[in-house]
Amino acid sequence: MNKQTFLNLCRKTVKSKIPIEENCTDCPSFPEKECLDENVVTLSSYKPGETGTVFQACGDPELRLRLMEMGFIRGSEVKVIKYAPLNDPMEFVIKGYHVTLRRKQADNILMNAPIKTT
Amino acid sequence: MRKKINIALVGNPNAGKTTLFNAITGARQHTGNWPGVTVEKKEGNVKHKGHEIQIVDLPGTYSLTAYSLEEKIVRSFIIEFRPDVIVDVVDSSNIERNLYLAVQLLEMGVKVVIALNMMDVAHGRGIKVDANKLSRLLQAPVIHTNGKKKIGIRKLLNQVIDLAKTPVILNKRRIVSYEDKVKKEIVKIENNFDKIPTRYDGLSNQWLAVKLLEKDEEITREFHDNSTRSSLIKQVQESRNRIQNNIGETPELILTTARYTFISTIIKQAVQFHKSESVTLSESIDRVLTHRLFGPTIMLAALYLVYMFTFQGSEPIVNFVEGLFSSIGGLVTKTLPEGPLQSLLVSGIINGVGGVLGFTPLIAFMFLAITFLEDTGYMARIAFMLDRILHSFGLHGTSMLALMVSGGIAGGCAVPGIMATRTMREPKERLVTILVAPLMNCGAKLPIYALLIGAFFPGNKALMMLILTIISWAMALLAAKIMRLTILSGIAAPFILELPPYRMPTIRGLITNSWERTWMYIRKAGTVILTISIILWAMMNYPSLSSEKSESFMERKAAITSEFLTDPAVNNIFKSQKNIEILKQFLGQEDSKELKKKTPAFLRLAAALNNNGGKLNKINPAAKPLIGYIADAYLKYIQKIETLKGERQSAHLKNTVGGKIGLALEIIFKPIGFDWKTNVALVGGFAAKEVVVSTLGTAYSLADVNPEMAESLSERLKKEPGWNPVLAFSLIMFVMLYSPCFATLVMIKKETGKWRWVFFAIFYTTTLAYLVALGVRIVATLLGLGVS
Repeated sequence: MNKQTFLNLCRKTVKSKIPIEENCTDCPSFPEKECLDENVVTLSSYKPGETGTVFQACGDPELRLRLMEMGFIRGSEVKVIKYAPLNDPMEFVIKGYHVTLRRKQADNILMNAPIKTT
Repeated sequence: MRKKINIALVGNPNAGKTTLFNAITGARQHTGNWPGVTVEKKEGNVKHKGHEIQIVDLPGTYSLTAYSLEEKIVRSFIIEFRPDVIVDVVDSSNIERNLYLAVQLLEMGVKVVIALNMMDVAHGRGIKVDANKLSRLLQAPVIHTNGKKKIGIRKLLNQVIDLAKTPVILNKRRIVSYEDKVKKEIVKIENNFDKIPTRYDGLSNQWLAVKLLEKDEEITREFHDNSTRSSLIKQVQESRNRIQNNIGETPELILTTARYTFISTIIKQAVQFHKSESVTLSESIDRVLTHRLFGPTIMLAALYLVYMFTFQGSEPIVNFVEGLFSSIGGLVTKTLPEGPLQSLLVSGIINGVGGVLGFTPLIAFMFLAITFLEDTGYMARIAFMLDRILHSFGLHGTSMLALMVSGGIAGGCAVPGIMATRTMREPKERLVTILVAPLMNCGAKLPIYALLIGAFFPGNKALMMLILTIISWAMALLAAKIMRLTILSGIAAPFILELPPYRMPTIRGLITNSWERTWMYIRKAGTVILTISIILWAMMNYPSLSSEKSESFMERKAAITSEFLTDPAVNNIFKSQKNIEILKQFLGQEDSKELKKKTPAFLRLAAALNNNGGKLNKINPAAKPLIGYIADAYLKYIQKIETLKGERQSAHLKNTVGGKIGLALEIIFKPIGFDWKTNVALVGGFAAKEVVVSTLGTAYSLADVNPEMAESLSERLKKEPGWNPVLAFSLIMFVMLYSPCFATLVMIKKETGKWRWVFFAIFYTTTLAYLVALGVRIVATLLGLGVS
């Protein structure tokens, strides 16, 4: 996992703790200590075959809401099926269906540490 | 008379909505577009229990947030049109996510019937849904359906009629129970609603309050517009802040989570999962089809198959249609006297109609192939595998198909190619794909390449074609990238693409869908294409030669004829011009007994002209030299007449509107080295690129140039001063890149809905073509190549 990208994401998230309506990267509930917690990683760092639960969807409001509507809400189980032939996008199973996301989008999904299943 | 019942079909993509729609309406349906946008609109009707039921198949959506075009269409259709009943098609095998849309609909307070579809698939995966329980929990009727096997259709329609008859109760019930802190704010907002009518009257107030809390753009705007609602707006703002401060999250997130929480409590009660750990068939297929190595290989093969199916598969029908129209043309040519009327009918109308209908089999076959790819679920895999590459050029994984059909494999056609973008849901990526598709090497450009490569690069035909294919891809991708960085910049649409399980499509569904799409082409585009082809025909034919010039050609023809006839040897057989006509007829049909009797003298001559050994042997050896002499003289005469005819046609062409445009363009094209002859051919190519070769032939005074037998033109160009490999390559590049033919432009108008994209397409392609062609010349000059 790219620590720098991850920390940047955290900082962006934490900054918007004060309610700013127009802030487009708002993830206000994301507390700083969890951000530094080793156990929270981005979905893009998951390897094929790994399963884990969603901690938080972040990113700009449209993408975030869209991801949540597709099932990426806290506690949902996500399994990585495979990467596309050129490693991007990635394929997941969530809520019983298969969906693909580009890595850049999967960067916006914070996950609890994965469990290897297969 | 009973009232007509209007129902709307909504549902997630891949929930089997269209199959159910087909099962309900059968053939009584038609496809159109939503006004102002290019999302397909399907409507149909059915009679059930004496009720006329009108059904609209709304685009598949996952939600009603109104972010995507499809969601906007669905939501505004429900709000503006207020269908009596909404049928929400739910895929039982994927019930959790499918219910999200159902919950949103129920929150709106509209009448909803849930069609619990694809139970067989769900059973296969060990999923059991209790419809009665589900119905009770959702407070809405739930009916088992199976679109493929047509199960549950009657029950569904019965339920629709019942529900349509029940009076509207302004919905006080609350579907989702939000947590107290949120509920309190929702109630506060609701209390601020007034009695001033809005477009949302008749929908649930709770829904409106929730939407305001979510900061829904459209609804917020509606309430903002009215200044008397300042207290409401203030309340919404306060509530949002309060929720955010107290719970530490945005209301959107809290509300979305609450809906899913509600859904999972329903699922717990009404759905049983007998979890089978075994991998489904679909997943095993996918292991191969999207495999790191096999995946791309199979995909290339599949794309090639689509291409072959579209162009080779439709070939017999295309040939039949073209043959039919050329024989009708031939018949008219024979029946009507030569003149403007005959020319209008044959070259203008019959060719125009033939051109429109000639495309039809292509389009039908392409849609059949594409519908198959879509319905099986393979299309999503193509997008999945290619997204990495195409996304880096600002396109989308599904752009590949459109580019391929347009001529990514040389020989396609941009008309079906642009229609293929209908499957794309991302508006910007789709628009860019439409705009760059005409840069590909379509079939009509190939005769020009063949002509010029044959004349100037005869040793490297295959290599040249490969180079041209690579150049056209490079140009299309480059143009796409530039457009996405400039005029069509903006964040790429999120690529949240579902990979639906593989399914076997129904034959009927395939045929209905591709036929509807094809019919739309004939109806919408066909008429325009016909009109413009007549206008272009007129441009290339009028005005005719002035009477003096025309007369001078007649005089020259008469002079040549009399010179031929005055030859004493010739005069033995040919007494007058009439005899020449008879011989011509005779040569056409030597076996006609009637003609043999009439003119026995021509028998021997014909044998000599046709070099018919068998018949020549029968001729008296003493007469042979004379016959030979006459035959030679005749051939020379015919050649002179043909040359004159060519000159006349060239002069005529130069005099037409198209010719004059070609002349006027000389100033602009001089730097590249194109003269009026090339220019007029390029103007003609605007009608259809294959016309470039024949127009070039006419301009170079060759009476009749068949694109497939352009050898004489190729010989001619080789000898022509000014023509050299550099000029030929410039022209190839120009033809590859310049303005799409008008049939393609008509498609661009139909598919983008805006004239400005048509003008943009003409402008940017032609500018690109000019710069590239000029670049070729400049580079060649700097390198000192091809200076002749």
